[in-house]
Amino acid sequence: METTQLQLVSNTTGRSAMSQHRTSCNECSLSPICLPLAVSVDELNDLEEIMRRGRPLKRGEHLFRASDQFESVFAVRSGAVKTYALSEEGEEQVTGFYLPGEIVGMDGISTAHHMSSAKALETSSVCEIPFSRLEDLSSRIPSLQHHFFSLMSREIQADRELHMLLSKKSADDRIASLLLSLSARQQRRGLSAQRIRLPMSRYDIGNYLGLAVETVSRIFTRFQQQGMLAVEGREIEILNRESLCGNGRLRA
Amino acid sequence: MTEWNTDLIRRYGSQGPRYTSYPTALQFHEEVTADDYWQALERGNLARRPLSLYLHIPFCQHVCYYCACNRVVTADTRRADQYLKRILRELSMKAERVDSQRPVLQMHWGGGTPTYLSDAQMTELVYHTARQFHLLEDDRADYSVEIDPRTVTQSRIGLLRGLGFNRASLGVQDLDPRVQEAVNRVQPYSMIEEVFGWLRDFGYRSINTDLIYGLPWQSETSLARTVEQLLCLRPERISLYNYAHLPARFKVQRQISEQTLPSAEEKLRMFSRAGEMLESAGYLLIGMDHFALPTDALAQAQQSGTLHRNFQGYSLHGDADLLGFGTSAISALGTFYGQNQKSIEEWQSDIDDNHLPLERGYLLTQDDQIRRDLITTLLCQMEVNLDAISRRWNIDARQYFGPELMQMNRLMQDGLVEFDWKTLRLTAIGRLLARAVAMVFDVWQRDGLKRHYSRII
Repeated sequence: METTQLQLVSNTTGRSAMSQHRTSCNECSLSPICLPLAVSVDELNDLEEIMRRGRPLKRGEHLFRASDQFESVFAVRSGAVKTYALSEEGEEQVTGFYLPGEIVGMDGISTAHHMSSAKALETSSVCEIPFSRLEDLSSRIPSLQHHFFSLMSREIQADRELHMLLSKKSADDRIASLLLSLSARQQRRGLSAQRIRLPMSRYDIGNYLGLAVETVSRIFTRFQQQGMLAVEGREIEILNRESLCGNGRLRA
Repeated sequence: MTEWNTDLIRRYGSQGPRYTSYPTALQFHEEVTADDYWQALERGNLARRPLSLYLHIPFCQHVCYYCACNRVVTADTRRADQYLKRILRELSMKAERVDSQRPVLQMHWGGGTPTYLSDAQMTELVYHTARQFHLLEDDRADYSVEIDPRTVTQSRIGLLRGLGFNRASLGVQDLDPRVQEAVNRVQPYSMIEEVFGWLRDFGYRSINTDLIYGLPWQSETSLARTVEQLLCLRPERISLYNYAHLPARFKVQRQISEQTLPSAEEKLRMFSRAGEMLESAGYLLIGMDHFALPTDALAQAQQSGTLHRNFQGYSLHGDADLLGFGTSAISALGTFYGQNQKSIEEWQSDIDDNHLPLERGYLLTQDDQIRRDLITTLLCQMEVNLDAISRRWNIDARQYFGPELMQMNRLMQDGLVEFDWKTLRLTAIGRLLARAVAMVFDVWQRDGLKRHYSRII
């Protein structure tokens, strides 16, 4: 994954807004899980037509900010992106993490403005999909529309599940749920389900799950002592999935 | 507390409509036109009435043998795609003529099985509805969905909540395994309990559950057990429906053997026992077959006199114009009722030809409106002030309803109503038998128009 990113960085030029390079979905390793999965080979050309390869984002750089006008959604191509909202006191509240093949920015669809800000967690690249053109295209390709709504519904579900996680579950369960989710998403990309690399800091994890950063570290240590995980910095290996799932209490 | 007098229930438990409309759907006829519909819609625009939307999803994965609903049992999910495409068109067709400022205070998805739709389809449907109508996003409105416990997972419940639904209606029917098998709807208590847990976790405001009595193999004891189990979950609302066995009209009911059905006497005992149990558990009888916890909005609306009744049963938003979408869906626009094509083919071909898929309807006369006012007030507030009716319609209600009011003597002697020629009030047992009282004021009942209504009790 590291190499892909570097390649992308060196391939792109300029620091202007989104460069207008045409993207080849065909050659992208994420096509089986990203938007192209919903279109036939003949239609792929139409999709590529509206997709724009974005410039790479450096760690900490913004993709969009809350209250920016909503014009596009973005497919993460490499790296990772987090979304956050600001509380009234100006504190950051992390609302989601987006990994390669996932679509970020759909929070703006209903209000025409983004509700949250999106920031790269590490060097990342994204493809920009102008929403009006996607809508157009979707009306011609029903399977694309269907897929897009699937993505939207997955987003809504994740949102609701987080909400429930925060209101109901113990600190242990919150961390375990996040790890299981990251593992499942990584597996979807054809990568290992056992070995995951956390793109986000302990601080972001704590913020996202409503836990103090000390609590996050303590739980990682305990999970390790209990033989559920092997932890080395941001590299995590899941050793005992069953007990991480709370013996069936959480969804694997 | 209601005194569950089985003798009265036996005597007044004859035939009678449920008065989700007046006149009832039986009086709808085909002499109505699309223009009637559009004009009624326009009058609602001028009056700036809020909206209530009903979306009918007629598909089911499995067949329940007691069912008398308009539905299609199919495992072919592509049919739902075709259907969805058209319901989106129907939404646009009607939305074009609706003042987009009118807020949608109520939305209900019924069926069939709305949760037959996939996650993406449900998202798409809400997305399009929200683009065309003014849905409220701050959770003030009542958006409800009927849920078949067998078709949902935790994340679907989360999705529906995220799409804006804040009320759910669960078809429980009966919890006895033998009964469930006999009606081909196997959903053990543990499943219902789990779905309840999810609904609570995701913060649904109110859960309604339907129970049915009179099903095969049911007895007073078995139903009491079902009620007891259900009470552990404390749904905010419980409806206790009577199963009407009409195999001549509803083919699928022939799957149920007559020998396994409880007798009329047994049914009476079942209903009384279940009602007693609900009341002693703290539920209030809203009227007829509906019970609610005192903390629920329905019970509170009845207290404050703002309860209404429409095609969705008791409702908090009866002053809204109801727009129906999908096969057989009914719209109620002020003084106009219109029902969509019942057959899926006819409905589809109307939409494809860009026609309003209207099959039948009814335009209320002044007399109908006066009677509707009286009957609805009686069923919702449990009492009617005749002076108020006189003032509202500029009539002398005592004279206008002379013959009907004379008949109240008989109902008074039997203890169904209290009446002093000023106010007509239902007694506790009268609430249960409210349909029998309402029937007296139904002009369509007078002319010996006995039809195949479901039995009241």
